[in-house]
Amino acid sequence: MSKRMGTEEAVQSFVKDGMLLTFSGNALHRAPMSFIREIVRQEKKQLEVAKTAAALDVDLLCAFGLVSTVHAGFVSYESEYGLAQHYRKAVEAGTVTGNEHACYTVICALRGAVMNVPFMPVHGLKYGDLLVENDYFMVVENPFAEAEGKPAESVTLVKTLRPDLAVIHAQVCDEDGNTIIEGAQYEDILISRAANKVIVTAETVVPAGRLIQRKDRIDIPGFLVDAVVHIPNGASPCSCEGKYEASEKDIKRFIEADNKEELHAWVDSYERKDRARNSLSYKGGLGAWR
Amino acid sequence: MAMINGGRVPGNREWETGDLMTCVIARLLKDKETVFHGVSSHMPMVAMQLAKALHAPDLVHLNIPGGVNPDSLRDVSYSSAGPELVRRGESYFSLADIFDLSMRGKLDVAFLGGVQFDAKGNVNASAIGPYKKPKVRLPGGAGSAVLIPTAKKAIIWRTKHDKRTFVEDVDFVTTRGNLWKIVTPLCVFGYKNGRVVLDAIHPNITFEQVQEATGFALKNENILVTEAPTKEELALLRRIDLKNLRSVEFK
Repeated sequence: MSKRMGTEEAVQSFVKDGMLLTFSGNALHRAPMSFIREIVRQEKKQLEVAKTAAALDVDLLCAFGLVSTVHAGFVSYESEYGLAQHYRKAVEAGTVTGNEHACYTVICALRGAVMNVPFMPVHGLKYGDLLVENDYFMVVENPFAEAEGKPAESVTLVKTLRPDLAVIHAQVCDEDGNTIIEGAQYEDILISRAANKVIVTAETVVPAGRLIQRKDRIDIPGFLVDAVVHIPNGASPCSCEGKYEASEKDIKRFIEADNKEELHAWVDSYERKDRARNSLSYKGGLGAWR
Repeated sequence: MAMINGGRVPGNREWETGDLMTCVIARLLKDKETVFHGVSSHMPMVAMQLAKALHAPDLVHLNIPGGVNPDSLRDVSYSSAGPELVRRGESYFSLADIFDLSMRGKLDVAFLGGVQFDAKGNVNASAIGPYKKPKVRLPGGAGSAVLIPTAKKAIIWRTKHDKRTFVEDVDFVTTRGNLWKIVTPLCVFGYKNGRVVLDAIHPNITFEQVQEATGFALKNENILVTEAPTKEELALLRRIDLKNLRSVEFK
């Protein structure tokens, strides 16, 4: 049965207030921006987001006050785009909790979900105030040391982060959700295993079975995927490898928006493209899916 | 001072501060080392390519998207974590793989940033003011909190050198550990016996200028002078880095 649905329906069906979400990509690369803009349109609230390095995705949700907590190693744009000002101001105002991780502790916390354990040991996080200030890190003694006659040894634990939903923007998938990510995969394979539900938004959706010749290239098997949404340019204005570069003009247009009207206008300017393809748009033939 | 802004150094038409810092960083790298840079890290990314073109052909260039040893930076634009590094790479090794490698003690060098550094080698990339109610929420340390303690050598570069950056005590200790060098527009700091010390001063800079821009006391002893970029280094830099990505933080 096809898992295809439209952008609006996918957000309505899968995103609930208060959920812990995680997104594909890294910084300004391959974030599922169309899906996130639809979350803004539907005003889902009190969301938590977990990601190693976030940028426009988290900043956009913070700009509309839809986020309660961010679990991340890094939240910022790169080089000339500067800091993620909406995130920054929201943390400074106390409306968003910025749970700082080392990027690796986000990875370990997600691995905890993959393996269904409540925490993961993490080597390397040994010093500093992150351990003191944050209740999601804990330092314990290695319980095996004594029995093995070894000297006492401290081990840092990170609490598992179990996303309710992972949203992954990919270059191609079939209507069953078998997904191929071209180029840098970032943490996308990990989040597809860690999250309770997985939505793939894709540049190209092909009929079921059409990827069978490339099965060794499938990164996310369809049985892990709950819904497939066909959204060409779905990462825009972030980049999508092999398809398009980040759009400096459109990122700047967001960063320079300094009131609610301009922010809404930015989101509205994408509405038609974000919602263009829905489950009824297939008219037969591979070409019609592109 | 013109230099701190990254412009041309007075009386010098050959190179800019960004060129000098990039060459200094490249010279710190040795052949066959495994070296990682993260996001917003153009200068180290270019320096790694320069080191490979000069004295370290078998240096292993690792990065966030996972492209091992990208053969060119031609496709790179505003990002040092973009998919083009995979496109131009020889193999794929993910960020999670790189972290795991460092945890096993097999990452030789990590390049890391930060906003505040203190005399004891503590790094702050998290917050100015209290962590839970910050005056300024900074981007966060990204990988630093696990890489500075586990990489054999952590190199920090910072294109600002002033008393707000180099302070007696940081507001928040994001991490500390195997800090090896800090490269700034004025000098190179080392780290000995738990203290940040002055290793070398760049050409045309005086000890007094460095001390005046630094919020903790420095000793004026055994200080080297950085060698200016050579003609060969400059020629290679222009070829490797057509878009002057190395100086993007000065713009």
